[in-house]
Amino acid sequence: MVELMLPKADRPTQGKSWPKPANAKRLREYHIYRYDPDQSANPRIDTYFVDLDDCGPMILDGLLWIKNKVDVTLTLRRSCREGICGSCSMNINGLNTLACTKGMDDSTGPIKIYPLPHMPVVKDLVPDLSTFYAQHRAIEPWLKTVSPTPDKEWTQTIPQRAKLDGLYECILCACCSTSCPSYWWNGDKYLGPAALLQAYRWLIDSRDETTSERLDDLEDPFKLFRCHTIMNCAKVCPKGLNPAKAIAEIKKIMVERKAA
Amino acid sequence: MTDRIPDAVIANPKTKYGNAKASTHHFIAQRLTGAINVVFIGFLAFIVLRLAGQDRSDMVATIGSGWIGPPLAVLLVIVAIHMCNGMRDTLEDYFHGVAYQRLMMLNTAFCIFIAVAGLAAILKLVFWG
Repeated sequence: MVELMLPKADRPTQGKSWPKPANAKRLREYHIYRYDPDQSANPRIDTYFVDLDDCGPMILDGLLWIKNKVDVTLTLRRSCREGICGSCSMNINGLNTLACTKGMDDSTGPIKIYPLPHMPVVKDLVPDLSTFYAQHRAIEPWLKTVSPTPDKEWTQTIPQRAKLDGLYECILCACCSTSCPSYWWNGDKYLGPAALLQAYRWLIDSRDETTSERLDDLEDPFKLFRCHTIMNCAKVCPKGLNPAKAIAEIKKIMVERKAA
Repeated sequence: MTDRIPDAVIANPKTKYGNAKASTHHFIAQRLTGAINVVFIGFLAFIVLRLAGQDRSDMVATIGSGWIGPPLAVLLVIVAIHMCNGMRDTLEDYFHGVAYQRLMMLNTAFCIFIAVAGLAAILKLVFWG
C-alpha cells in the first residue's frame, strides 16, 4: 500500500552546521541531505557555507567546493559537468534537476539539496538506480529487425529521422521518473516516463520491425497505463523533453491498434 | 519500498503485472464513457431543473416519458461503468495484493448495485408509475 510518510528511522533530523570559511565576503548557504547506511543514525540535514569568490557559479561547483575544502565525506555522483551524462541529477530546492546546469543565482536563500525522491539511498546524494535501469532494459532500447541485415547500414529518410528528435536526447538522469507520483507509488511495476519515452522512440523508429511485439510487451495496466498525465516529467526534464506526450502517443497507438 | 519485484523480473520485457488483455480496453472504456458523460450531464441538468419544485406525479410523468426514461437508464449504466473503471485506476495506484483484491470486489459489487437499483427504479417509473 502507498506510504504517505517516511518511517521514523528514515526521517531527516537537524545535522551539523559547518563553520563559515575564514575571510569570505560572499557566502551561500547549502542545506544538504546526509545519510550513511553504515551508521544506524537517521538521515540528517547538514549546513555548509560556500565562498562564492572561490567557487564556480553552478550548484555542482558548490558541492565540489564543499567536498574538496570542507567535508570530504560528502558523497555525490558527477562526471561531465555540462548536462550530458545525467550523473549529478538530484532534488534541488524541491525540483529534480542536474546540479551542473543549475546556477546558484537561479534562487535566493539557502540551497536545499536532497537525493532524487522516493528512491533507495546508497549514500548522501546517491540514489540506487538499479530498478530504473532494469526498466530501461525492459523496453529493449535497441534496433530489432527480422529482415536480412543490409550490406552497409539501415537507412532512414530525413523525415523518418526527424521523428526521433525530442526523444533520442534523453540522458537517463531519472529526473522525470522520480518526480512522477505514479512512479513513487508503483515504482517497480510502472515503467516510468524515462523508459516509456525510450519505448516510444523505438516504436516510431522506421527501421525497427518489431512494433507489434513491443506494443504487446507494453500492454499492461501497470507498465504503461499508470501514467495519469500529471506532467511533472515534462516540467522537470533538464533536456526540455516531454515524456508525457510520448506516453500519450503510445496510448494512442494502443487504441488505434485495438480499434483496427 | 518493501516487497519490491526483483530487477531481473522487471528487466524482462515479457513480465506482466495485471490483466494485459483488458488494459487498453479499460482505457478506451474510461475515455469513451467519460466523453459520453460530459454530454449526458447537460441532459441530467435539464431534467433536474425541469423537475425542480414539482410534485411526484409530475416527476413520474417526466421520467416515465419514452424520451426521458430510456436515455436516463442508459446514462446510469454508463456512469456505473465509468465509476467502476475510475475507482479501479485509483485502487491500482494506491493498494496492492489482498487489500487491492478485496477493495476491487467491493468496488465492482457497489457499481453493479448502483446500476441495477437505478435501472429498477427507472423501469418502475416507466412501466408502473
